[in-house]
Amino acid sequence: MSKIDKYDVIIIGGGHNGLTAAAYLSKAGKKVLVLERRHVLGGAAVTEEVFPGFKFSVCSYVVSLLKANVIRELMLPRFGLEILPLESTFTPLDNDYLFRTSDYDQTYKEIYRHSQKDAENYMRFGPLMGQVGMAVRPILETIAPNAIRPSFKDLMSLKSLFNHVKGLNKETFEYLCKLMTMSSADFLDEWFEFEPLKSTMAASGIIGTFMGPRSPGSAYVMLHHYMGDIDGSFRAWGFQRGGTGELSMTIARSAMHFGTKILTEAAVNKVIVKNGSAIGVALENGDEYKSDIVISGLDPKLTFLKMLDESDLPEDFVNDIKKFRIRGSSGKVNLALDGLPNFTSLPGNGPHLRGAISISPSYDHLEKAYDDAKYGNFSKEPYMDIILPSVIDPEMAPPGKHVMSCFVQYAPYNINGGWDDTKREAFGDAVVNTLARFAPNIKDLILHRQVLTPMDLEKTFGLTEGNIFHGELTLQQLFSFRPAVKWADYTTPIKNYFQCGSGTHPGGGVTGSPGEMAAKKILKIW
Amino acid sequence: MVNKKYDYIVIGGGLNSLIAAALLAKKKKSVMLFESNDSLGGMASTSEFSPGFRCNLVYDYIKWLDERVLKELNIKKDDIELIINDIYRVSLDLDGNHIFFHRNNKKTIESISKISKSDADKWNDFTLFISKISSFLKPLYKITPPNIQKMGLRDAISMKNLLNPILSHGTRGIADILRTLPMMMPELLDEWFESKLLRGTLAASGIHHLNQGPYSAATVLNFLHHNIYSGINILDAKFIRGGTNSLSSVFSKKAKDYGVIIKNNSEVIKINCNNGNCDGVTLADGQIFFSKNIISGLDQENTCIKLLGNENLYPNVRTQLNNIKYRGSTARLHFALKSLPKIKGINDDQIQTVFSISPSINYLEKAYDEVKYGNFSSSPYIEFCISSITDPSLAKDNNHVLSASIQYIPYALKNNKWSDKLKNDIINNVTSILDKYITNFSDDIIDSSISTPFDFESTLNNTEGSFNHGEMTLDQFLFMRPTISSSQYRTHIKNLFICSPSTHPGGGLHGANAINMINEITK
Repeated sequence: MSKIDKYDVIIIGGGHNGLTAAAYLSKAGKKVLVLERRHVLGGAAVTEEVFPGFKFSVCSYVVSLLKANVIRELMLPRFGLEILPLESTFTPLDNDYLFRTSDYDQTYKEIYRHSQKDAENYMRFGPLMGQVGMAVRPILETIAPNAIRPSFKDLMSLKSLFNHVKGLNKETFEYLCKLMTMSSADFLDEWFEFEPLKSTMAASGIIGTFMGPRSPGSAYVMLHHYMGDIDGSFRAWGFQRGGTGELSMTIARSAMHFGTKILTEAAVNKVIVKNGSAIGVALENGDEYKSDIVISGLDPKLTFLKMLDESDLPEDFVNDIKKFRIRGSSGKVNLALDGLPNFTSLPGNGPHLRGAISISPSYDHLEKAYDDAKYGNFSKEPYMDIILPSVIDPEMAPPGKHVMSCFVQYAPYNINGGWDDTKREAFGDAVVNTLARFAPNIKDLILHRQVLTPMDLEKTFGLTEGNIFHGELTLQQLFSFRPAVKWADYTTPIKNYFQCGSGTHPGGGVTGSPGEMAAKKILKIW
Repeated sequence: MVNKKYDYIVIGGGLNSLIAAALLAKKKKSVMLFESNDSLGGMASTSEFSPGFRCNLVYDYIKWLDERVLKELNIKKDDIELIINDIYRVSLDLDGNHIFFHRNNKKTIESISKISKSDADKWNDFTLFISKISSFLKPLYKITPPNIQKMGLRDAISMKNLLNPILSHGTRGIADILRTLPMMMPELLDEWFESKLLRGTLAASGIHHLNQGPYSAATVLNFLHHNIYSGINILDAKFIRGGTNSLSSVFSKKAKDYGVIIKNNSEVIKINCNNGNCDGVTLADGQIFFSKNIISGLDQENTCIKLLGNENLYPNVRTQLNNIKYRGSTARLHFALKSLPKIKGINDDQIQTVFSISPSINYLEKAYDEVKYGNFSSSPYIEFCISSITDPSLAKDNNHVLSASIQYIPYALKNNKWSDKLKNDIINNVTSILDKYITNFSDDIIDSSISTPFDFESTLNNTEGSFNHGEMTLDQFLFMRPTISSSQYRTHIKNLFICSPSTHPGGGLHGANAINMINEITK
C-alpha cells in the first residue's frame, strides 16, 4: 500500500542538523516532515539505554560547538537544553599528571609545577586562540561561494571576507594562517615545552581525523575544536543533562513546536527525481511522500550516491563525490562500571573525574597509535578522550554505578582483513588495557562493555566509513570544496534537492551550523 | 683608508647570489660579492671527497631553470648545455621489473604497462593533469608574494596574470589546483594509480628534500614544486654537460663580465647597521666594506640572527625567525668506484640517468616513521646517479663516482649524537642495499664519504642542513615564506634583501628567487 502525502519540505535523517533545519523551516511557516531511519532521533547525537539502567551518549558525547544563535533562535532552553559544565582536562601520566581547569589561577599553578615558561605562555595562548576563533567565525558563517563560476553575490561575500581578513590585527592573521596549514605539534612547539601539555592540546587536532599530531593540517582541526561557544563563553565544553541525545530531543521539540512532523523508523530508500528535479522520497517500505523540496542530512556519499542514481547527476560531480575523503579513524567504547576508576597518579574521587580525561601522555604515544592505523591495524595503545557522564549527571547510571564514555583513536575502517567480532573484542581489550595502565582497578569495575568500531558506526548511525565529521576536515575539503566545488552552498545539481549534513560547510561537530545555514539559504531562494 | 661605497654588497656565492649580482651589474650598479669558500656555487659546487675523486655537493641534476634569468643575462643554449637523454629516470625494482621514464611518453606508457595495464592507460591523462595545474602555478612562481593584509586594488590588478591559464584550462583548473595543493601524495595517487612501484616513485618526488612522509598533507605541493616545468615528463631530471658546477661558472663569468667584483675566501661576519639601516659588512679578517644596499644569499637564520645580531632584531621578528622550520632531511653519499657499475637490468647506454629506490609509499612512510621518533631511516629512500658520466672531470681513468641522496637522515638524533661510527653504519647499510641492485657493487668501491645535514650546516652554512633553506611546506609557502611579515624578499631592515631559497618560490637550482627579488627591489 502506498501513501501519498504532500509537504513543503522533506528532510532525510533526524540527526541534529536535519532537526535544526526542520525547526528553522517550520518556524518560517513551512510544512516540514522529518524522516528518521532508526527508532531514536539524533543521528550521531543520541542517548540510548544500552544496558538496563545505564544510559550512554552512544556516539557524540560532549557539546561545545553548538551555536549561540541557534540556541537562542530555536529557544532551546525552553525545550530542555541544559548544559552541565565539563570544565577540566585531566591527563594521567605514569608517575604524575596534568590537570587543567577553567580556573586560570589554578591552571597556572598546575602548569607552573611542570614548566614556568609554559605557564606564562598558556595565559597568552588561550586569549590568542580565542581571537583567532573569533576571526574565523565570519568565514564559517558565510555561505561558501562557488569557486568555479562565482555569482555577483559570491564575489561580494568574498570581498567582504577579504576585507575582514585585512582588518585583522597582524598577530591574529599570522596565527590564522599558521593554524590553517601547520601540524598541531609544530604549532604548539612554538609555544610550549612540557610534552604532556602539548600532546593533550594537540590531541584535539586529531579527533575524528585520520592523521597524527605531526601531520600538517591537524592544527586546523584543533582550531575547529576551539570554536565552540556555549552561552557565549569561548571554548567551554559541556554535557547535556540526560546525554547528547537529549540535546537532539530539545531541537526536535523545538521543531515540533513550530509544526514539524517527525517520523521514526521511516528509512528513505530513494529521492524521487523527475525531469532533473526532486519531487519527493520513497521509503524502504514502499511508502512515498511528495514535497516541493527535499533536504538530506546524510553524508555526501549517501546523499548523492545512494539516494540518487548516478545517471541523474553530472559526471564530474559524481567523480568529485567519489573522491571526497571520508575515512573513519575512530571508535567508541562505552563502559558500565561498578564504581569509579582510581588513577594511580591521582588516587580517589575528585574534580579530575568531573571533566575530560585524556590519554595522551606524549606526542609519540599519539604518533605510534596513528602508525598502527596507517598500516591497517587498530592502535595497540590508543589515544582516548574519556568522560564519566554519571559523575556529572547521576541519572545516567543506577546509584553507585557509573558510565564511562571512551572516544578512541585510531581504529581504521579499512582494517587489514576486515572487522569481525574477534577484532572488535581485541580492540576493546586494547582500550581497557591502555586504561588499566593509568587506572589499574578498571578491569574489576567493568560490568558491561559496548565496543563500536567504525564499521559499527557506519551500520548503526549511517556514517559512511564511520567518519564522525561526514568527511575529513582537510584543507581541500573545506569551504567552497565541501563536499564538492560548485555545490558547497547547500544546493545540489538536482533542482529542489538540498544538503544540510556535516559534509557541508562549516563541517562536523554538534554545531547545528550546517542545518541552520542550509535552512536560511533555502528560505532566501524560495 | 676608507673603502669605496658600493651600490650593492652580495653575501654568498651561491647560484641565486651570482644571478642577483649579475642582474644588478647589468643595470650599471656597482656590486661586490663575498664568498666564504674558495670556490663559488654553494649548493651547485663540487668538492674532492677522496684523493682523485670529486663529487657534486648537493645537486647532480637540475629540474628547471628560470627562463627569465637566461634571457636577461643573454645566456645561450651553448653556454649551458642540457643533456636531454631519452630515459630520464629509472625506478628500480628488486626483481628487475624497472619502470623507465622516457621523454617519449609512449615509451613510458609501454614500460608502465608491463607492471599495470590500468596505470599505463591513465599515465597520459595524469601527465596532462599535472601540466594543467602546473600552468596555474607557473605565473605564481614569477611574482613577489603579496602582503595579503596590505593588498590594495592596484596589487590585485597587477596580479591578474595569475588568471591567464583560465583561458586555456577554464575555471575548473583553479578549483583543481586549490584542491590538489594541500593534499598528501597518497590521496592524489589514489585517484590515479595502483602499482606500488609507480606510486612509491611519484610519492618520492613529493617528499624530496622534505622532512615529512608521503602521508603528510601538502606533500603534493612539494611534488608540484619539483615538477612545475616538467611538462609531460613527470619526475624530469636534466643533467648539464660538465656537471652542475658549470652553472656556477657560467653565472659567475657573466657576473664578472658585467663588472661584479667577486671575492672568494672572504667570510662576512657581520652586517653593519646604523640607525636601522645597514651600511656595509665586516669580514672575518677585519676589513670593512660599505654599501647602500645589501643582498644576502644566505638563509634567514644566518642573515638575520647571526650576521645582523640581536641588537638589530625586534623581539617579534626574532620569534618569527626562530619559528622557521629548516629540518634538513637528506644526506649525500659518494662512492669512488673502480669502474662503471653494472646495474641489474640496465644496459650501459641507459646508465646516464637518475635511479630511484622507492618501492612503495609505505616503504617511504616507514622510513619517515623512524625519523619521527628521532632515528635515521634504516630502509631509506635512495636516489642515485653516476655523476662522473656527465662530468668526467670528477674521476680519473676508468674510475667513476656514484652519488646518492639518502632520505631520511635528520639533522639531529633523539638519543644520540652524530659520530663517525653512525655515519659508517649508514654507508654500510646503503652499500648493502645498493648491492642488491648493482652487480658486485661493494667489491668495486675504492672509497666512500657521507655528508649528513649536520655536516652541511658547517660546510655549506645551511641551517640544519636544509637544502631548501626552510622546508617546502604549506605553512612556509608563498606569502608565508620565509615568514608572513618578510615574504617580499625584504627584511625588517629597509635596505637588506634576501634572495636565497628561503624566499618564494623555494629551493632548487633555478634562479627564480634571485630574479623575483631583483624585479621587486628595482621596481
